[in-house]
Amino acid sequence: MLILQLIINGILVGALYACVALGFSIMWGVMNLINLAHGTLIMVGAYVALLLFTFGGLDPFLAIPVSAAVTFAIGYLLQRWVINLVIRGSVFLTLILTFGFDLLLVNILLVLFTADTRSLTPHYSGLGITVADLVIPYIRIGVFAVAVALTYLLHVFLTRTRLGNAIRSTSFDREAAELVGVDVTRIFPLTFGIGAAMAGAAGVLVALTYSFSPVLGGAFTMKAFVVVVLGGLGSVPGAVLGGLTLGIVEHLSTLVVPPGYQEGIGFIVLLVVLILRPAGFLGKPFYAEVKA
Amino acid sequence: MTPLRGSDGPGVLTVPPMALAVLAGVILLLAPFVIGNYWIRVVTTMFMFGALASATNIIAGYTGYPAFGNVVFFGLGAYATALAMTKFRTSFWTSLAVGIVICCLYAAVIGFPLLRLRGHYFAIATLGMNEATRAIVENVGFTGGGMGLSLPVQRGDVQLLNLYFYFVMLGLLLSAVVITSCVISTRLGYGCRAIRFDEEAAASCGVPTTRYKVTAWMLSAALTGMAGAAYANWVGYIEPAAVFDMSIAVKMFVMMILGGAGTVFGPLLGALLVELVGLVAWTQLLNYHTATLGVIIIAVVIFVPGGLMSLRRGLTVRRLLDNVRASRL
Repeated sequence: MLILQLIINGILVGALYACVALGFSIMWGVMNLINLAHGTLIMVGAYVALLLFTFGGLDPFLAIPVSAAVTFAIGYLLQRWVINLVIRGSVFLTLILTFGFDLLLVNILLVLFTADTRSLTPHYSGLGITVADLVIPYIRIGVFAVAVALTYLLHVFLTRTRLGNAIRSTSFDREAAELVGVDVTRIFPLTFGIGAAMAGAAGVLVALTYSFSPVLGGAFTMKAFVVVVLGGLGSVPGAVLGGLTLGIVEHLSTLVVPPGYQEGIGFIVLLVVLILRPAGFLGKPFYAEVKA
Repeated sequence: MTPLRGSDGPGVLTVPPMALAVLAGVILLLAPFVIGNYWIRVVTTMFMFGALASATNIIAGYTGYPAFGNVVFFGLGAYATALAMTKFRTSFWTSLAVGIVICCLYAAVIGFPLLRLRGHYFAIATLGMNEATRAIVENVGFTGGGMGLSLPVQRGDVQLLNLYFYFVMLGLLLSAVVITSCVISTRLGYGCRAIRFDEEAAASCGVPTTRYKVTAWMLSAALTGMAGAAYANWVGYIEPAAVFDMSIAVKMFVMMILGGAGTVFGPLLGALLVELVGLVAWTQLLNYHTATLGVIIIAVVIFVPGGLMSLRRGLTVRRLLDNVRASRL
């Protein structure tokens, strides 16, 4: 029974991990850009929901579009006016640049919201369903459902719409995409914006699941790394597989190793996967891999 | 692997005129007797980061492998030394040697699988390596776990101890500079730069790429480990969160890029500037000091992506704009 509970928890958290990693994954896959500020964008999403909840009494689940819109705007502007200026430089530069932006963003959050730990507690928090000995809180189910829905929406957007196809073609071959008329200077900010919007939406789900503070973003950037590497770059099904794997492995590992190792487990899995199968479970040669 | 910007080629080591070097030497030797304890600490920290940035430069700047999690050797060096001193009661210098050997071995063992990865994947793997190592150190019993580890108390006058660590860190910095400038004009140095520009081409010209990459990383690890060992003794207390701290890793990277990756003196310049700016920001803009650092990083990456060493021939607005034009979309 314990194992079953752990697997259920692992799946519930795993869907959230997938959602956390998706935006990160498409930015990396399409633009060969590692966004170290991803975790902090997630925190921005969480704080937007917190503001709406505290001052407007808005249900956190309904705040998701607002959070996503705010982070979309931040991401679009950042890529359009800053990162586009250096995107053709070496991988070091964009890595460091997004780190600089992360420092700036964390500082702004600290000034606005202080370093206090916050949590989102709508009236139904703490309630849940009990089947036999299994306990599943409502919030976790809601978070799971929304995470799955968002992931599915992104997948449909990328594979079924004209814009989504333009984004994907840019990720396969930038020059070829330009030749057939894709305006890459416009696609890049949109891609970053969509990735950031996913981060903002995931932020609300994170805020419903954990308590948070401005400096916690880094931990989620790390999770995104692990998930993306596990599942494979720039692929939505890959992120889902990676997220579920990480969630389940983290939870099951508590059976065999002391809980303190839980954080480290993800990274040990990451190292093993990188060494054995650098492209991840479902990874295909993407722009980044061809070029790197 | 996209080659790093920055000056390169055989003429990369532009040794300043002898007189200048002697002058700098004399100033550095005499300075601690003139400036107060506060400034001694500040300068000692600068020396340490200068050495760390130089160490990163060997693997990232010259060889082109972005070892983003290089701070793992800082932590390992600190812990190896601290454990040798507390559990086996060895002297500082013996413990330092232990730290160096352990860091080299670790780099060699993990280097063979990891150095097959390129670009972002390598960067992330080193990051994972740091996090995994930290998790292990935090959880095994004999390291003191998350509680940290206290080193033997140093006896003696505070003033003297400050001076002692000033010169230890200065020595470390000089070793980093000497090692870097010696290595770049050897077969290994040329091989590493060839790997950075085009690894396949280098391999087909007979450069033993794997061996060179691992050697370069071991050198980098040894220097980083020494800095960790010296740091542990200097502060007298270490904990995993402090010595395996990713922000140290990022700082080393920023310093290297700001000064000029793939140059001997660039990382030193970067360390000096980042520490100075950090200091001013701390004292003048307490609440906004990380934001200040963030804005500076963004500006540097946009306007001087080749690092400050690339501005040796003069700084003009036009050159800055050319830099932007070169890598914008």
